[in-house]
Amino acid sequence: MTGGDERGGAAFWIAFIIGAGIMAFGIRGAVLQLKGSAPDVAKWVIGADLVHDLVLAPIAVAVGWTVNRVVPARWRTPVQVGLVATGITLLLGWPGWRGYGRHLVPDNPSVQPLDYTTAILTVLAVIWSAVAIWLVVRVVTDRRVPQPASASTPTDSPSERLSL
Amino acid sequence: MKVFDRVRPPRVGPFRDDAFTSPARTERTAAILGIALGVSFFTCFATGIYSHLAQHPPSWFHLSARPAGLYRVTQGLHIATGLASIPLLLAKLWTVFPKLFAWPPFHGIASALERLSLLPLVGGAVFQLFTGVANINLWYPWPFNFPIAHYWVAWITMGALVVHIGAKLSVTRTALRRERTEYSEVAPSGADTPAGLSRRQLLATAFGASGLVTLATIGQTYSPLRKLALLAPRRPDTGPQGFPVNRTARAAGVTTTAQATDYTLEIRGHGIAQPVTLDLTQLRAMPQHRATLPIACVEGWSASREWEGIRVRDLLIHARVDGARPVRIESLQQHRSYRTSFVDVDQVGDPDTLLALKVNGETLALDHGYPLRLIAPNRPGVMQTKWVARVVVL
Repeated sequence: MTGGDERGGAAFWIAFIIGAGIMAFGIRGAVLQLKGSAPDVAKWVIGADLVHDLVLAPIAVAVGWTVNRVVPARWRTPVQVGLVATGITLLLGWPGWRGYGRHLVPDNPSVQPLDYTTAILTVLAVIWSAVAIWLVVRVVTDRRVPQPASASTPTDSPSERLSL
Repeated sequence: MKVFDRVRPPRVGPFRDDAFTSPARTERTAAILGIALGVSFFTCFATGIYSHLAQHPPSWFHLSARPAGLYRVTQGLHIATGLASIPLLLAKLWTVFPKLFAWPPFHGIASALERLSLLPLVGGAVFQLFTGVANINLWYPWPFNFPIAHYWVAWITMGALVVHIGAKLSVTRTALRRERTEYSEVAPSGADTPAGLSRRQLLATAFGASGLVTLATIGQTYSPLRKLALLAPRRPDTGPQGFPVNRTARAAGVTTTAQATDYTLEIRGHGIAQPVTLDLTQLRAMPQHRATLPIACVEGWSASREWEGIRVRDLLIHARVDGARPVRIESLQQHRSYRTSFVDVDQVGDPDTLLALKVNGETLALDHGYPLRLIAPNRPGVMQTKWVARVVVL
């Protein structure tokens, strides 16, 4: 890490004091107002972190790893874009598709009024049609202009990579 | 921190130096996504605070009546920025994921505190977005009160964000400046890399996904795009009389009382010696006024309709109340939250603040608050009290 602030520059300490104060205000309010359920909220906040780090992120890494081995190099970018959009669509459409809110208010047809299976499939069809068009355009242009050999060698230099 | 030289995890799996291969993971990617998230989180936070103040006004806060559509805009923005943040947050976390396995884990007090603040930052951000999405779907899979938890965790998350900004200020500045020198030579264009997405392509994907999410949901509040709102939990044109309902009469337990033939509205409180009662015939005989106002739900959907009914200020004059007073509107509903709502002086005096009997020329549907509901400018939908039984002058 090249930046100085993280190692304790003045900007960090000023921000830390202000931020810690805001956090303390939030924790105090949560404890006072949530009373008995404050530990539940804490579990859910920490749980949200763990679900990301131990479930979502490894899934993304595994999908990325698979794409890099299964999908031909020239197709990777469009496929990755399609997969990202698909993942977001499924995450966002999940409650509606499962009817989670709908179950709680069976007499209120204005909650989740759509057929979310059709809705999600429609969005996915739009996404993958765009990906298919992109791939076709690539194949056609590649035939006209052959790719230079350098495209298949790594172009990332260590300086560009995230410093760890 | 010599201890971390002696104790270190074996270089396997994510701890390998070359475990993460995508060249799209750069400081610059993290910096750009961080700035975008900073803007969306602060917008979400500010609009959330406004909504909180509107619903729980402290003594210094007065909810104004104008502009009439203000709450519709702020709350629409709250939900839209929250939803648009989802792809940006996931892209950001993907970008910095290798840092989770960095060794040494910290190198001093400041860096230890900074890493510790990532727990409330990441946990809080994911918690806020998840609970927010679940709430707009009316889905509550947790054992705590949603508004209270969402409100206080917002403060905790924003506090952690302030710490994070302080820690990353100079790294961000450097990463943004470096583009014109090193980066442009290394990766001159948005061309593919062997691992697929380049940095620019990743950013385009994250922002594109953000746009897609907005397009697929914004129609719940912006009517012209309602047909595109395929992933929205609400449609502004779906429900009894063509707009949504949050709590039905049955859920509120007012099906019988709201339809009782002996229904009366009672006006009592400050300056009223003897409570005034009005039955439906008397209410219909009073001067009726029309107002086109949005019903703007806390959950982000909104719909503008033409309401017709009696001005609240006329009712106070009818009850011989002197001068402008705030009021509390009470519902026929017997229990649960949002049974009553506070109306500040500015809104009580507004000519568009009505106890409505009709919407779009029709008698109110039972689920929309028959026989009488409050409708006022610039007000959260949950405070547009339905099945009004009582006006209490404060």
